Amino acid sequence: MDWSYILLSALTLASIYGLLAIGISITWSSVGMVNMAYGLTFAVAGYGAWGVAELMVDVDPIITGVAVVAAGIGTGALAGVLVCLMTFIPIHDKPNFPVRGLIATLALSLMGTQILLWIFGPRVKTLPPVFGEWQAEFGAIVLTADKAGALVSSILLLAVTLTWLKSSRRGLEIRAMMMNPHGAAIVGIGVRRTGIYVMALTGALAGLAAVLLCQTYFVSPFSGLTPMIKGVSVALCGGLGSVSGALIAAAILGLNESLTSAYLGGQYVLITQFALIIIILLIRPRGIAGMLDKAREA
Amino acid sequence: MFDKVWKSAAWKNPQDVWSSAGARSKAALHPVGRLRWYYKWPAHSSNLWRLRYPFTRRNVLRLRGVYNPKSLRAEKTIVDRRPVYWVLGLAALAAIAPFVESSTLLAAGAIFGIYAAINLCWMLIVGTAGIFSLASPAVVGAAAYGSAYLSIHYGLPWWALPFVGSGFGLIFGTLIALPATRLDGFYYALLTLGINELCRVYVVQSKLFGSATGGLYGADSYFPESWSENHQLLLGFYACMLLMIGALFLYRFVNGTRLGRILRAAPEKKEAFAEATGINYRAARIRVFIISSIALGFIGGFYAAHFRGASPSLFSFDVVLLMLAMIVIGGLGRAEGAVVGTLIVIFLEKYFLEWGPMRLILIGFIMMMTVLFLRNGLFGTKLQFRAWRNKKKSEFRSTRSEKGGEMLPEEATETADKDQIYFRRFDKMQRDYLKGLIDDDVIEEHRRRPLGQHSEQLERLLVYFRRAGQVDKYAITMTKPFKEYRIVALSGQRGVAPRLVDDKIYTSENEAYHAVFLRRVQDLLES
Amino acid sequence: MATREVLNVKGLSAGYGPLRVLHDLDLVVYSGERVGLVGLNGHGKSTLFLAIAGLTGWQRGSIRLNGHEVGGTRSQGPGRFTHRVVKLGLALMPQGDEIFTGLTVEEHLDSGAFTPRAWRERAQRKRRVLEIFPPLEKLMATAVGRLSGGERRMVSLGRGLMADASLFLVDEPSLGLAPKISKGVVDALMSVELGDAAMVIAEQNVSLLEGRVNRLIGMHAGKLKGEAAVGLAAQTVREA
Repeated sequence: MDWSYILLSALTLASIYGLLAIGISITWSSVGMVNMAYGLTFAVAGYGAWGVAELMVDVDPIITGVAVVAAGIGTGALAGVLVCLMTFIPIHDKPNFPVRGLIATLALSLMGTQILLWIFGPRVKTLPPVFGEWQAEFGAIVLTADKAGALVSSILLLAVTLTWLKSSRRGLEIRAMMMNPHGAAIVGIGVRRTGIYVMALTGALAGLAAVLLCQTYFVSPFSGLTPMIKGVSVALCGGLGSVSGALIAAAILGLNESLTSAYLGGQYVLITQFALIIIILLIRPRGIAGMLDKAREA
Repeated sequence: MFDKVWKSAAWKNPQDVWSSAGARSKAALHPVGRLRWYYKWPAHSSNLWRLRYPFTRRNVLRLRGVYNPKSLRAEKTIVDRRPVYWVLGLAALAAIAPFVESSTLLAAGAIFGIYAAINLCWMLIVGTAGIFSLASPAVVGAAAYGSAYLSIHYGLPWWALPFVGSGFGLIFGTLIALPATRLDGFYYALLTLGINELCRVYVVQSKLFGSATGGLYGADSYFPESWSENHQLLLGFYACMLLMIGALFLYRFVNGTRLGRILRAAPEKKEAFAEATGINYRAARIRVFIISSIALGFIGGFYAAHFRGASPSLFSFDVVLLMLAMIVIGGLGRAEGAVVGTLIVIFLEKYFLEWGPMRLILIGFIMMMTVLFLRNGLFGTKLQFRAWRNKKKSEFRSTRSEKGGEMLPEEATETADKDQIYFRRFDKMQRDYLKGLIDDDVIEEHRRRPLGQHSEQLERLLVYFRRAGQVDKYAITMTKPFKEYRIVALSGQRGVAPRLVDDKIYTSENEAYHAVFLRRVQDLLES
Repeated sequence: MATREVLNVKGLSAGYGPLRVLHDLDLVVYSGERVGLVGLNGHGKSTLFLAIAGLTGWQRGSIRLNGHEVGGTRSQGPGRFTHRVVKLGLALMPQGDEIFTGLTVEEHLDSGAFTPRAWRERAQRKRRVLEIFPPLEKLMATAVGRLSGGERRMVSLGRGLMADASLFLVDEPSLGLAPKISKGVVDALMSVELGDAAMVIAEQNVSLLEGRVNRLIGMHAGKLKGEAAVGLAAQTVREA
């Protein structure tokens, strides 16, 4: 077992987990809702990408790849907006919103996965390889196409998202809402509209993650569950609402996962992961970055 | 002279005030707060009959002695009728079961019993202890797997399974209670969701727990082999109902004791207040968590004995979602919510099997609508409706302004003596009429002759003034016999002296009479 | 200068649930004037401001901001329409600052320039705010959560001044500040060039405002007292 391989797979996993976790983290901190329909968004985006891939017969593989990725991101964003319209908009100013929002998104994911099952049936679908079938060697390191693609595209999208959040006006809105929703309303930020932006953004992140993960796994109605749980646990470990914390946690858990599957075996990944998360949370109940910034009290 | 005064003022018919055409009050008179005339329950206080739980001093029914405000008869009333409904509902379920032909329905009934019991214990954690744990189904699953494993490999008899399961529940519950001491709210909910998934993946992959056969089957069961299938189903149904009743008693027991009170004193986000009064809410929460984990383990052992094993579906996300749907539809924090929600969901899920995914979509839809529109499930609708109605009412009332002397609706609802409402309205109309009678001629007539026979207008005014209550009623006191008179106001209370109204001294009795009259006229006009 | 009605409140009642705080209140604010709103705790000053921004539990009555009706009858969703009111030219500097703790001072000031025009001119506007509150210059890159109470108040007021607003509602600028600092803050508010806009300052401490605003209105038990009369207001504006 060589270290370069472990590090590489850790990096790939970390980038995908980072996508998922940051989506959940941003949703929680800016609209104040734990989006449990994230897995559903993931699955819907997978199906969207699959549908576009089915349409693209006899087309240049590069165009197909781009179209599939774009379709995944697009349907993900659309699903995110739908989730927002159905769960955030009706109850965001009603009493006991956080718990009700959590339950509403859970109900939505129950409904949504069953609808997907109804429409597409239980058979799994596969996506075409969007990054082609090449591999590059750097000394001892072998970089396969899907890994390289996943790494590059997720880092790209993350960087774009983070700079957008940091520098644009909408990003400022979202961050202001993360800090103080009441103050945001006074400044003139429309809570509902910003909610839709946020959910579209996080949906797009989930969509990209779906396309990337479905290079190795399959698209099925329930395929969103495991990524969502991993994303949630990474976000939890990093501290809900913290972008930097989520990135650190993604790196730690990605390393843990690749180490575990290399030395102990694939079935122990979840066990070691949860043991790690529980230990981290027992030491720091608000996650890795929970003490760095008090973005939003739970 | 008398005639002249009589004719000078245009005579107004006093009857006009009461006739519908001339009624001065335009405001509608709503019947506010009718008196309760119906009969409730006889014999309050004579022999207050009480039903107590055995060996305790707890009452099964909360009774209160009241007097019927209309008939003035002594009655008693049940403050909390829920135990009656429980008994009636459960008795109906038990009575119907032997006549149910469909075996699906009976099997669904048994599943309902088990799930209702699980949900009641879960409600203890979520509602009473306020720990939003999603791992409770996992405790049941762990106990079911553990006891089934022991039964298969070590030949444990069926009656031992629930108790062994309790042990597993204790261990597993303690393990997952550990993070709950540090984490709060969503952190814990999301973590437990992960633990659930962890269990599922472990069980599905582990050869020890039958990854090949899709579950662990072959445990000892309480169904006698010799019985017919229908009888077995019936036995299963009754056993599960018994389990549910046990869970109901546990729920009642935890909520009714000091433990439950401590937890009610420390709801989420208000823990600091409870802590400041010396309540160790953390220990109480963990205690409830462990108590209900033991109960969940018991149910898990029973599950293994009932289904002859355990399946990984116990840990699946969809089952957790369905169980969440059960407790959410009924309403968090209520035993009746847990049971009725379970009834609805299980009925939809198990009886309409041929609908396929559609029924789960329907359940999800119901759950969604409940969460979006109801504050606390089906059993919270009454409170929610009342809160909404009160809010609307007070918004409406607060925009109304004062109307001279009449009671506003909010005052009227709060006044116990409803006669007062009508009296105040009558008084206002009468004052309006009397104000129209006052003119210079009447005052002049009174000045000339305060006592004796008067014109009709003056007589009506004087009768109204004289009829007023004793509180602050004007009177004349003679400070020097036949030389000095002063005006006082009566206190209206025995033993409390009247107070002087002003410094003015009147030299004759008639002058003082007229001064009192003028004061009263002024008060009338100002009202 | 032609005076224009910036704010015209007619028959405004507002409250929270069963509680009614404002009782049939009428108020007109003209452009270019500074109005002091004085009254004790709990007499509805803040509620009046919140009602104008649509943040109370329920409200009834007409509120016209620059000729646009923003009031009406509303009984749910506090804050749902606030951003539209803000777009029509309202800047509310709330009690307790409502700052965004994690943002830097600069980002904070940017977040105040919410309307498209203000956003385009935000560099200029920031310079203007810094002229009014010079101490903020050095703190531009610091997170607001690390500032002192007085600095936070400056940031909160500066955020309000960034807006392209025609009506500034300042709620208790001296609350919780040392007397010297609060005087400085009020001085800064007085130095703001209003131009066509108007400013209403709610204060408990009358002496801070006395003689420095165009008119003083008292507030008692949800009703306005004192110089609220319309004719008088127009007169004082002309004198000023």
